[in-house]
Amino acid sequence: MRWTKVSSRREFLKSASAGAMAALAVPSFLNAAGQTAISVPGKEGLIVRSYRFLDLETPVEFLTDWITPVQHFFVRNHMFAPAAVEGKEWKLAIGGQVEKPLSLTLADLQSVPVHSVTNTLECAGNGRSLQSPKVPGVQWGKGAVGNARFSGPSLKALLEKAGVKDTARHVVFRGLDVVPGKVPPFVRSIPIEKAMDGDTLVATQMNGAVLTPHHGYPARVIAPGWAGAASCKWLTEITVQDKPADGNFMIPGYRMPNQPVKPGETVKPEDTHSVTGLTVKSLIAGPRDGAKLKPGAQVVRGVAWAGEAEIQRVDISTDGGASWNPAKLGKDQAKYAWRLWSYPWKPAHSGDYAILSRATDSQGRVQPESAVWNPSGYFYNACDQVKVYVQA
Amino acid sequence: MCRLSGSLLIFALLGASYTLGAEASPVAELPAGPTQEKATAACASCHEARIIVQQRLSKAAWTKEMDKMIKWGAEVDPKDRDALIDYFSSNFGPDQAAYEAPRTTAKALTKRPTAKH
Repeated sequence: MRWTKVSSRREFLKSASAGAMAALAVPSFLNAAGQTAISVPGKEGLIVRSYRFLDLETPVEFLTDWITPVQHFFVRNHMFAPAAVEGKEWKLAIGGQVEKPLSLTLADLQSVPVHSVTNTLECAGNGRSLQSPKVPGVQWGKGAVGNARFSGPSLKALLEKAGVKDTARHVVFRGLDVVPGKVPPFVRSIPIEKAMDGDTLVATQMNGAVLTPHHGYPARVIAPGWAGAASCKWLTEITVQDKPADGNFMIPGYRMPNQPVKPGETVKPEDTHSVTGLTVKSLIAGPRDGAKLKPGAQVVRGVAWAGEAEIQRVDISTDGGASWNPAKLGKDQAKYAWRLWSYPWKPAHSGDYAILSRATDSQGRVQPESAVWNPSGYFYNACDQVKVYVQA
Repeated sequence: MCRLSGSLLIFALLGASYTLGAEASPVAELPAGPTQEKATAACASCHEARIIVQQRLSKAAWTKEMDKMIKWGAEVDPKDRDALIDYFSSNFGPDQAAYEAPRTTAKALTKRPTAKH
């Protein structure tokens, strides 16, 4: 009963139900545009950024569990998802700079020891719509992020089976996505160090169940702590080579300026670098932006993550950033996984409040007051903020 | 069971005009205008209009997007290019109100069987 002090009828009704019922944010089915909801089997109450191809965002109010249920996990597709992939017919080719090229079946993967990693997966473009001036791309709000337990063989174990040559520097992934028109295929690479890290997976399971088609059945890469684009879905081909992949989604796609640029400025490709690890970030899951709260005790809660680093603290301000106090971090933790946090709050008086959250990580990175603008809208990580009204 | 009755209760209390199983067309449409048909023909074979209607871009940025998409296979008659750029930048410029995205249904509200995957 997390919302018992929230007074709107919608919130009251939500508070009267438990757990997953919170997912049924009823008014969202009839939004301002008068649209009713869209059915996507296996995906409940998510924000439709695109239906064809499918891009779904998790409403921040769903982000109250350490492990995000699959039905609430965001979906990011660059192309069309492949038509039903038959696990029995699926093959994974490993080639390039290897001693022994391989063609592995799902059964072959299942004969390799299973490794599990709880990973916070975030789209590099999460928060793009909050940038000003706006930049082209899927206009994600805050929720292209989730935390799940992924399991499968480590990529390292598979590459060792094939025998990586000394010339190997990068590992390229290709999925079974269906590419329309003359669109360049979604092919990207990661450096050999990340590929051989041991925690980088060819995952076949998510939260203890077989991967769903939306998340890359039968196998996907998980490059933990890195922007989601490194974690290729519907994986079908791994190529080891002496240089990075060079397609559109490596250059000019998924790159950050080497130096900060003025909002609206263009950047030459040679002055950019490929996105890798996620930055430090927190989100407020509740109370919701715009909520009207009854007077009395409240709990501000949310999540915080830092890619390959660890969250050290989350501070909360209930006065628009004038003063800050530490939130309590949740007990669940794992390398690459976000931390839940909570902050008990008793508003001193009625009126408007701006609540902010600010995360700090083990590398000393602190969530900034405003995010660094960049031409592709990646890694938006300004301190999160919700505005609420406390009634008299 | 618990969830289904809970959701029905919510609908009863809200008096929402939503009917069980009613759905919007999942695919968004471009706004009316002289180039609506041509824009739809050029864009919609690869992606639905929703990815367009959520953008809020300057004319310069729309020009760049248009030329990228032509390179990526959008079939645009060269004599229509400028009109299409005008159509997009006048409908989806930086000053337009933000696009309100719909949501997917929650399981208890659909009559379809849960997909097993």
